[in-house]
Amino acid sequence: MRELSLFLGCVAPNRYPGIEVAAKKIFSTLGVDLADLDGASCCPAPGVFRSLDKLTWLTLASRNITLSEKKSDDILTICNGCFSTLKDANDMLKEDPALKKDVNSKLAEIGHEFRGTQDVRHVVEYLYQEIGVDKVREAVTKPLNLRVAVHYGCHLIQPLKDSKLGLAGKPTFFDELVEATGATSVDYEDKMSCCGAGGGARTAILDATLKIANKKLEHMTEAGADCIVDACPFCHLQFDVGQAEINQKFAKNYNLPVLHYTQLLGLAMGFSPEELGIAMNTVDTSRFIEKVKMDISENEVCTIV
Amino acid sequence: MSSNIERCYQCGQCTAACPMAEQEQAYKIRRFLQMEKLGLKSEEPMDIPFIFYCTTCYKCQDNCPQGVKIVDGLLSIREAAVRDGNILPAHRKIGQMLMDSGHAVPGNEDGKKRRLQLGLDEMPPTVASSEKQLNDIKILLNLSGFDQIVAEEKA
Repeated sequence: MRELSLFLGCVAPNRYPGIEVAAKKIFSTLGVDLADLDGASCCPAPGVFRSLDKLTWLTLASRNITLSEKKSDDILTICNGCFSTLKDANDMLKEDPALKKDVNSKLAEIGHEFRGTQDVRHVVEYLYQEIGVDKVREAVTKPLNLRVAVHYGCHLIQPLKDSKLGLAGKPTFFDELVEATGATSVDYEDKMSCCGAGGGARTAILDATLKIANKKLEHMTEAGADCIVDACPFCHLQFDVGQAEINQKFAKNYNLPVLHYTQLLGLAMGFSPEELGIAMNTVDTSRFIEKVKMDISENEVCTIV
Repeated sequence: MSSNIERCYQCGQCTAACPMAEQEQAYKIRRFLQMEKLGLKSEEPMDIPFIFYCTTCYKCQDNCPQGVKIVDGLLSIREAAVRDGNILPAHRKIGQMLMDSGHAVPGNEDGKKRRLQLGLDEMPPTVASSEKQLNDIKILLNLSGFDQIVAEEKA
């Protein structure tokens, strides 16, 4: 069995632990063991901490990477922000010996050394590149009859765009993985735009970021989506907690459940909504869960007949 | 300055693509680039807090006909502002959370309850579960001077 180190970040383990559970369940089903990365910290968040002090950002990121180097595992992130930070930091330090020396002089104080031996992966990118859409589809036992508004999130695409993966232009990799669960990825206006939360903006200027999220929620609702599926716990929080804030502050009435991709795939692999933590969202998910359960039981009847 | 903002000729494509500029008229990323190019950043306190409105979504950079690394440029502008003491109170606060807990979003009672319901340990297997590792984080943050950056202003 292959092994990866699961990098949890901050939002998933502390607000949406269902994502942590779902990641482990789906990877175990696919034959990959996700080991805990004991003692990992905030990545630290790319927009805000990188702009407060780049060397601090780099030093803390490199410590997180050394934790996986000690285990000889690649890191798997379940968050776009963590992916952006750890991948950028890893690349920078591998390419710049002077910077590496500078960071290592600090890491030496705590007995760590950045060597540059491991890679940083993102759950959606890893599933697409290493497992493959066909294998994901084969692992689906309960195909989902859902209309999904896919939200890529900025930092999933941005680091990839510069890489050799050739994903510039209109990416489809996330949609393909969503459709492998049986769901339909609906088209909607401004699909590739931002949730508004990143860069320290949600923290500092909440209302402005909610206006950005509101626009996306409006377009997703118009497209008749049953749920939003994202790849980032911070986008997740902005669409879930932010949705409740928008309903209250802007007198709206949205009711769109938000799922991380690991939770969507978990459902399609037959795990229950409860064990994937889907009912723990701020926005009510009870009607959505009812629909999923009903669709699944109907499918089972069809299979037996 | 590690970015290439000297290539910017002020066409405005960045601002046109910016989701924040659409909502907040005072936020104009091309203006910040121009100010930086002219070396005028410190004379324009009105740019604070607007330089901190960027969500780092990279739409501007995607749209730039000159290939300017706009987001990198803006992050450097922010860093310089923070060095001058112009850190936003909200950012100071999450900086302090990072100092205290090793996480920008630390655990809370709801989160702990949810973890237990899902059969997980109450605290995640991160720095939150280890005094020793948290101490390592604090050593690194002190070494890089981050503790000074997020320290409360002296009255």
